[in-house]
Amino acid sequence: MMATIETSPGVGAAPRPQAETPAPTRLRGLHFAGLISILAGLALWEFLSRVVVANALFLAAPTQIFAAIYNLAVSGQLWPHIAISAAEFAIGYVIASALGIVAGFAMASSELGKKVLQPWISGLYATPTIALAPLFILWLGIGIWSKVLVVIFLVLFPVTINTEAGLRTTSARLIEMLRSFGATPWQIFFKLSLPSAMPFILAGLKLGIGRGLIGVVVAELFGSRAGLGRLISQSADAFNMPELFAGVIILAVAGIVMTAGFTWVERVLVPWTRD
Amino acid sequence: MAPKLALNGLTKRFGNLEVLRDINVAIERGEFISLVGPSGCGKTTLLRIVAGLEPASAGAVLLDGRAVREPGGDRGFVFQSDNLLPWRTVFDNAIIGPEVAGRTGAVEKGRIRDLLRLVGLEGFENYFPRHLSGGMRQRVNLARALAIDPDILLMDEPFSALDAQTREIMQTELLRIWEKGRKTVLFVTHQIDEAVFLSDRVLVLARRPGRIQETVEIALPRPRALAIKRTAEFVAYVDRIWRLIEDDVRASVIEEHA
Repeated sequence: MMATIETSPGVGAAPRPQAETPAPTRLRGLHFAGLISILAGLALWEFLSRVVVANALFLAAPTQIFAAIYNLAVSGQLWPHIAISAAEFAIGYVIASALGIVAGFAMASSELGKKVLQPWISGLYATPTIALAPLFILWLGIGIWSKVLVVIFLVLFPVTINTEAGLRTTSARLIEMLRSFGATPWQIFFKLSLPSAMPFILAGLKLGIGRGLIGVVVAELFGSRAGLGRLISQSADAFNMPELFAGVIILAVAGIVMTAGFTWVERVLVPWTRD
Repeated sequence: MAPKLALNGLTKRFGNLEVLRDINVAIERGEFISLVGPSGCGKTTLLRIVAGLEPASAGAVLLDGRAVREPGGDRGFVFQSDNLLPWRTVFDNAIIGPEVAGRTGAVEKGRIRDLLRLVGLEGFENYFPRHLSGGMRQRVNLARALAIDPDILLMDEPFSALDAQTREIMQTELLRIWEKGRKTVLFVTHQIDEAVFLSDRVLVLARRPGRIQETVEIALPRPRALAIKRTAEFVAYVDRIWRLIEDDVRASVIEEHA
């Protein structure tokens, strides 16, 4: 058909092949750069701690830290700490995500909801709720629930705020398009507002990962029987720097892995936000 | 018999600003009508009122003699910006009208496939909008409006964002598609040659308030090829309409730059 000529050069070339073929080679180069940067950093760290500081009381070398992780793992001491912290994080994170998304919906969809919730959200978001951890421990005891509560407080607000913002930014033009087809408010919500808010909701959930991990550790520092924060404070009390760093490194890796996982989820769920 | 679409004394005010005053038009089934006029003459508002997206301040829109105030499946709207959902494929975008009405059966899907073929998108069903050119996205926009099999197509400057060559191709494409079904079309544009090329009648609007200044019958034979744009008759039509709105356009340009 003659008339489709206009479309062929512009479009035939545009999809996947063009967008993704050159990427792997470039990406491999980038990964490589990242790896080199990490290895160089570790080498420098090793050098500083072995030669310059030369005192394991002040700074543990990476090799000592990895040895400590290995020993903790082999002796079986590590796993309960990880399990407890993971449980605290997971429970708090899931509850906060669910509550945050619901609260965000409530605020975006009703003026009353917005009026009722907004002052609390704004106030509590800016409050260093982590400072309340000792109070939560007083109320809920030294077990996991005081930590779960801290995690909830830290994760809830970015999720709520982002969900609300995402739902509010629904394009007026697209709402009009659906209205022109006679869509009901519910249909507009499910077919338009929700998917268009997804990138925002996911960004809020991603922010929550880092905040949640910090919450777990800090809450455990204030008082706990087990957990990575407990491991860190124990090690600090015993001046066992390699084990202290072991706890920190494991948390850092957990944060990196979960954030990377989220980036992957974003790529699958909201591919239209790329390119 | 009642006309397909009748606008009776349509008036629209935004606060104190009178955008449209006493618009009266009768459009027969299968007619291709264009609305042209300077910016600010209310042509898009008029189209939105017919679509039911905007209430009229006074007057009525009659479709087959019955008043319409809400959007409905009898009118398909083709938007100026394509308004495609970025997370949906071409096919899933095209089917959104029937889907909203709860019809997504095999028959409907087959019909959508046929429509996409009609607008020249065969083989692109599973592409996402971000992978399409502007011209192709407007084809989806058109297919989406046709998918509800409306009595009337309402088109709001659908080609204005396209480059000049693509626009000409899309004009001939639109005529080709229109010849197949002969739907009643109400087409808003600020391009006079586009209006003349496509239409049976061109309604020339004046501004402040928007009102119909003149109706120009376009007695060019159909089917029309692009070459017709170079005939003396065609140029005479364009010239005549341009002279009708020239002063208004100048006024609106000065206003916009003031």
